[in-house]
Amino acid sequence: MKRLFTILAMTAAIISVILSVLPVSNLAILPAIASLLFGLTAFYLSKKTGEVKKIIQFTFLLTIVSLAITTYKAVFTKTEVTNNTELKEKETESKENAIEDLEELDLDDISLD
Amino acid sequence: MKYLLILVIFLISFSTKAQNNAIATGEKLVYTASYNMSGILNEIAQVTMETSEAKTSKATLLRLKCTATTYSKWDNFFKIVDLYESYVNPKNLTPYLYKRDINEGDYYKFMKYTFDHKTNTIKSQQRKKNNKEENKNFSINAGTKDIVSTLYNIRLFDYKAMSVGAKKSFTIVFDREEIKAQVTYLGKETLSTNIGKKECYKLAISSSESVLQGKNNNLLWLTADENKIIVYGKFKIPVGNGELKIKSAQGLKN
Repeated sequence: MKRLFTILAMTAAIISVILSVLPVSNLAILPAIASLLFGLTAFYLSKKTGEVKKIIQFTFLLTIVSLAITTYKAVFTKTEVTNNTELKEKETESKENAIEDLEELDLDDISLD
Repeated sequence: MKYLLILVIFLISFSTKAQNNAIATGEKLVYTASYNMSGILNEIAQVTMETSEAKTSKATLLRLKCTATTYSKWDNFFKIVDLYESYVNPKNLTPYLYKRDINEGDYYKFMKYTFDHKTNTIKSQQRKKNNKEENKNFSINAGTKDIVSTLYNIRLFDYKAMSVGAKKSFTIVFDREEIKAQVTYLGKETLSTNIGKKECYKLAISSSESVLQGKNNNLLWLTADENKIIVYGKFKIPVGNGELKIKSAQGLKN
């Protein structure tokens, strides 16, 4: 039982760290919570038998690291569009083509006013 | 009596043809689109809705432009650069030309509709990644609009005169197919947004196709003023759900 919870805690902690460095860093919270719960259970069970393995403490460390990265990214990373030259070019080209197409149409006298 | 009835019908039909008193040239609305992943909302893309004028030698049209671009942090994983345009009559938003140029990851599609309102037909042109061009002409019902002009047209309805539960139907042409959609007015709600606290008209959008899922899962909140801009939206589509939040608004008409 103790071993199972240790493995689960470790797996969740690794997933949490991986997610925290990806753009989906918000999702790291879920495995981090799971890792903490499994880790605490493994820690409690280990304490009962008298020996707490270092690996459990290591899962806590990993979880804390992932939570720290997630929090940092949530607070300091700005969600913005930095490279939109492709879109700007597309827009200009599209408008020019559209005007050509519209010129061919039999439009009534339409104006903005 | 007969003439009176004809006059009333004429007046009603005339008044239902919505006139544009909400959308100005130079209006720019910026939104943040979030997608729900395992119950956590992630900001995915920036959506912009912009209007400008498009001058030809014969007429001056209103260009309605909607763009969607993924935030830079996603670019290495999945990049979206979508451009939707509609060139419409500025007075009643009748579309003359619609263009859709979408670039989503490895997927590319270009679609162009040229509307002919005299014969109620559309001349369409489709292009995909392999540059294979497909031209097709098809008939539409009178009053059918493209998706962009429909989004703007929703802002022309007179919600003040509508009672809670009242519905408005319209037809959209998308992927060369006509889709019947409906807006249901659900009443007023006050929302706290990035552009301040706004009293809004709450609307439910439903469609005949399965694009929009559920009855009251696709909701829009429009400011309850003369501009009727979309400030918040919730959507549920086959691949998940998310929301659209206003970030900034510029160049409003009223």
